[in-house]
Amino acid sequence: MATAAVSSLLPLHSSRRTPPIAGALPSSLARRSFSLLPISSPFLSSPFTSPSFYPTSKRFSSPSSNFYVKAVAQEEKKKVLVVNTNSGGHAVIGFYFARQLLGSGHEVTVLTVGEESSDKMKKPPFTRFSELVSAGGRTVWGDPAEVGKIVGTATFDVVLDNNGKDLDAVKPVADWAKSAGVKQFLYISSAGIYKTGDEVPHVEGDPVKDDASHVFVEKYIADLSFSSWAIFRPQYMTGSGNNKDCEEWFFDRIVRNRPVPIPGSGMQLTNIAHVRDLSSMLSLAVEKPLAANGKIFNCVSDRAVTLDGMAKLCAKAAGRELKTVHYDPKALGIDSRKAFPFRIMHFYAEPRAAKEILGWTSTTNLPEDLKERFDEYVSIGRDKKQMQFDIDDKILESLKAMVTV
Amino acid sequence: MAKLVAVQQLQPCHHVPRVSPGSSLLHSSLSEFNGTALNISVQKKRKVWQPKGALQVKASSAKKILIMGGTRFIGVFLSRLLVKDGHQVTLFTRGKAPITQQLPGESDQEYAEFSSKILHLKGDRQDFEFVKTSLAAKGFDVVYDINGREGVEVEPILDALPKLEQFIYCSSAGVYLKSDLLPHFEADAVDPKSRHKGKLETERLLDSRGVNWTSLRPVYIYGPLNYNPVEEWFFHRLKAGRPIPIPNNGVQITQLGHVKDLARAFVMVLGNSKASKQVYNISGSKYVTFDGLARACAKAAGFPEPEIVHYNPKEFDFGKKKAFPFRDQHFFASIEKATRDLGWNPEFGLIDGLADSYNLDFGRGTYRKPADFSTDDMILGKSLVLQS
Repeated sequence: MATAAVSSLLPLHSSRRTPPIAGALPSSLARRSFSLLPISSPFLSSPFTSPSFYPTSKRFSSPSSNFYVKAVAQEEKKKVLVVNTNSGGHAVIGFYFARQLLGSGHEVTVLTVGEESSDKMKKPPFTRFSELVSAGGRTVWGDPAEVGKIVGTATFDVVLDNNGKDLDAVKPVADWAKSAGVKQFLYISSAGIYKTGDEVPHVEGDPVKDDASHVFVEKYIADLSFSSWAIFRPQYMTGSGNNKDCEEWFFDRIVRNRPVPIPGSGMQLTNIAHVRDLSSMLSLAVEKPLAANGKIFNCVSDRAVTLDGMAKLCAKAAGRELKTVHYDPKALGIDSRKAFPFRIMHFYAEPRAAKEILGWTSTTNLPEDLKERFDEYVSIGRDKKQMQFDIDDKILESLKAMVTV
Repeated sequence: MAKLVAVQQLQPCHHVPRVSPGSSLLHSSLSEFNGTALNISVQKKRKVWQPKGALQVKASSAKKILIMGGTRFIGVFLSRLLVKDGHQVTLFTRGKAPITQQLPGESDQEYAEFSSKILHLKGDRQDFEFVKTSLAAKGFDVVYDINGREGVEVEPILDALPKLEQFIYCSSAGVYLKSDLLPHFEADAVDPKSRHKGKLETERLLDSRGVNWTSLRPVYIYGPLNYNPVEEWFFHRLKAGRPIPIPNNGVQITQLGHVKDLARAFVMVLGNSKASKQVYNISGSKYVTFDGLARACAKAAGFPEPEIVHYNPKEFDFGKKKAFPFRDQHFFASIEKATRDLGWNPEFGLIDGLADSYNLDFGRGTYRKPADFSTDDMILGKSLVLQS
């Protein structure tokens, strides 16, 4: 369903209402369309498919309308280039996205920053890139600034930049994509650029920090006038193949019967999405470039969790007792960015645009997903690994000292 | 050929300058409708709804509507919308409060017109026999139950009106089971032990009786005439230039929904087949921290930024008094289902909604509960002691 966006959710670059795509599948079917329906299905290629999912207005059901022809082209196989970071929380996004696209029959090349022989490639998701290759994907390495040279004569319909945080990193990729005739440009930005205030959640269109480097990238991409461009702003993610610890931080302490030190009250909200949700959102944008064009999407699940809640869910997933201690990082002279994996103020965006414009739904189910994560955590032997908890110890010592004083 | 009626303003008391991005779409579509063969009888009013995003056309005939309650808060606004839409509206109340009151900002003419049309059925809804006989005698097409608390209160209504087209219930988001995963969605677990379990029982009863029901779950309702000290609590303190005592750290997140938006939602589910046997969370589009709400009230009412004092409620015994009007936890619900399925959207943001409440009610010196700063003084007294 491609109903027009509520005006309050339109980003800076407000788009015209896009008519629903004739031949577009209802959202529940669309998500599964790639694996179930062959591209040559008569249903997809017929210009006169059932009007059951059109809005009631007569405007779109006139047979003389010529956008049917454009719309049919939507469902063909695409050539996608993913420019992927070689480290950090976002690295896993490109891996899932590539896998999903390959599963749907698209052609995918993943250009990872740096060298194939680098130590960074010894961590997931890179350790699983063979999965991409077996599925027919191409994996290459290099400097994104040289992307044209690296891909050579290969042409692409869609480019996802899942790498750059600033113009220096993204501009060469975006410029090349524009000159190479790439039709759709997607960019992984960050929900961290939203200005914080008393009201939550961050909703697409809300003001962003003027000096955030991602903001300049977003504006630059918008101004390049690709046939379709879209921005995705994620928060945190979990999922097999992740490059940066998320729930592991909690598991490390829980399995060792250590108290989990949480900065602040523990009531702060955050969002942890399963990376498959981010991948499905990106895939829908590829499926629906007209609907996605010019839009900003908060790339998050549709539930927030409190920091205390996350600790509880992790303990439950691990089947262990939970001990938490709360502390004031400022009072103890602790840098919470080093001491804790998440932002310690409310950090909470909602995926309203994706739901409304792409018909996307969230499948993240933290209680269940964390169980799977814990199973993997144990299967790789991390629960037995020797670990130091220097900062934790410092926190606990300071708290003890405070009590005795 | 059907006669078309232009879009109607649905807010009698507050005129929000409406951006209507779809209006040009509307006009071209209207001209197309003239040629279509739609069976609309002359008596029916054809309304072109303009929910943001979706163009829907609904034919809604005038109905005989009963509102249980309707003289205090939600019903005051709802009844006006329904009367303006041409329905015959009866309020069932004990008559303790005046059946009608002129709203601030409401013109004499508008008020006169409303008062002349609204009907009253005097009775005590706890007198189930009377409810059953009086309703059966009158017969109603639709019942809005705004003040029902328990399932038993609804039974006589259903018994009296076997041909009832729709039973629209004002439930509460208070039925949701407390969770670390938020916001609450309609399908979430509910708490059979909550203070609002009567609302839950009522929803279940409605479903079990096979009647066409719709239930709306508001969070905290605010707006002019609010008798629950939600915004009033803050306004009293701001006006008195007092600090605002907020329990714990003030980052607890809550959600306010303007009564006029709620009233509009109640109207939008009327005769709406999509709403059949559905529950909808109805509240504001965004949520706010306790501290943030204090600041928002100040901003809305033109007060300087307030001094906020945090305290540990466990250190005090307030007796039966409530030191703070909100439950001390995160509490908010997603309105996505209503926006998606009904095309409803709140028109008030937090600041302009609070300003509406202040300008039309509390800022004029009217209030329901007089200011009581006794718990504040306990808190502030202790804080002062700690400081010295």
